Amino acid sequence: MTIANANFDLAIPWRVALPLILAVMALYYLLPKPRNRYVVAGSAAGLFAIVLAGVWLTRTDGAPIAEQFLFYAFSGLAILGGGLMVTQRNPARAAISFALVVLNVCGLFLLQGAPFLMAATIIIYAGAIIVTFLFVLMLAQQTGFSDADDRTREPFLASFAGFALLGGTLLVIEHTFPDSRPLAELITKIEQAVQDKDELRAITEDKQAFVAALHHEESRHKGSVNINKFADAITDLEATLNPQNPNRIQLSRDLSEMLAVGRKIQGENAAKPLPAANVAGLGKLLFTDHLLAVELGGTLLLVATIGAIAITSRRAGRKP
Amino acid sequence: MIPLSNYLIVGAILFVLGMIGFLTRRNLILMFLSAEMMLQGVAINLVAFSRHHGNLHGQVFTLFIITVAACESAIALALILMLYRQRQSLDVSLWQDLREPGQEPALDLDEPPPSIEEKLADPKLIPAGIEPARPREDSYD
Repeated sequence: MTIANANFDLAIPWRVALPLILAVMALYYLLPKPRNRYVVAGSAAGLFAIVLAGVWLTRTDGAPIAEQFLFYAFSGLAILGGGLMVTQRNPARAAISFALVVLNVCGLFLLQGAPFLMAATIIIYAGAIIVTFLFVLMLAQQTGFSDADDRTREPFLASFAGFALLGGTLLVIEHTFPDSRPLAELITKIEQAVQDKDELRAITEDKQAFVAALHHEESRHKGSVNINKFADAITDLEATLNPQNPNRIQLSRDLSEMLAVGRKIQGENAAKPLPAANVAGLGKLLFTDHLLAVELGGTLLLVATIGAIAITSRRAGRKP
Repeated sequence: MIPLSNYLIVGAILFVLGMIGFLTRRNLILMFLSAEMMLQGVAINLVAFSRHHGNLHGQVFTLFIITVAACESAIALALILMLYRQRQSLDVSLWQDLREPGQEPALDLDEPPPSIEEKLADPKLIPAGIEPARPREDSYD
């Protein structure tokens, strides 16, 4: 999957651009400022952008209904909480929205087979870090809303820059992980053609559409390791299909070759199984491969504790 | 199962939202919350790749992220408390004399927003006008 030699289609598809434009509008309307803050229009644009992004940008690839539901619920709530956090005037409410983000991200961790990380993140982030943030917020109590919460710096430029970065990232993701369904359909078609004579005849009669579909798949999987083999298989198949009455034996041999390469490309993007013993595996990895990093992390925590105490302590004769 | 690209998209969105919050908000605590949200987006990416490749290295990296985030928040909150003690405010713009040389200061040119105190102030009586002319009572004559 190399991006360097990839041939980019620079025309930005509307299904990437429209949610981003809506999101820029939503953030611009919702970010706190003295004038022109349209809460209803901004919230509507933001919700619409989230829904459009969910419908147009994500794929499910035949996942079970429960998993799909949990994924969309957790990620939707996480993004909603993130938007609320950024646009909230009251800092205490923003901290609570961040807790919402953390809890939903923990749900996403659990969906990806990381139960220990889920527990650790809930305890450390939602339990400790956010509570500390709230404590400091209460210690640094201001009377009413201050100028800092009512104004933002360059809301339009910042949201435009942020979502331009997001657009670039989304395009690269789309390009690197192409939709796998058309390839799967082609592979089942070839499978049937290898076994069934009627299907084979259907392919030879409609050979131009078949070869065009194969070429389309080739252009969409340019990042694959096996793309050269795939291209060779297509040229072989084209040469065999070209005469009026193609050689049956040669044709079925070419089709089997194509099937093998297609399955290889399909297998590249499939997830490999994760070790079932999550905590045991993590512990083993932490104390063998990453032992030095664990020691350094412990030292870092100690130094940070000492530093925090040294920064905040107010002794006589010491200027704050 | 849900493909890897979906998780990458969610992580990218959280990262960008955190970035926008860090760039625009002026409250010191909100800026650090935004930085923490960027870390959450990165953590989603790492766990997703860990699931995709079928090993636990990504999850170990996320554990280290949590460690560093805890240290960072301890130091950052200590610094924020010190800054608050000096200026009695969490506004980051009060510290803009630390900006690099040759940079224009950021000023609030538009009118200040109506403060809560003004909205909730006690109602005041309007000042009285000229006393209206009344007919004199002449019962004492």
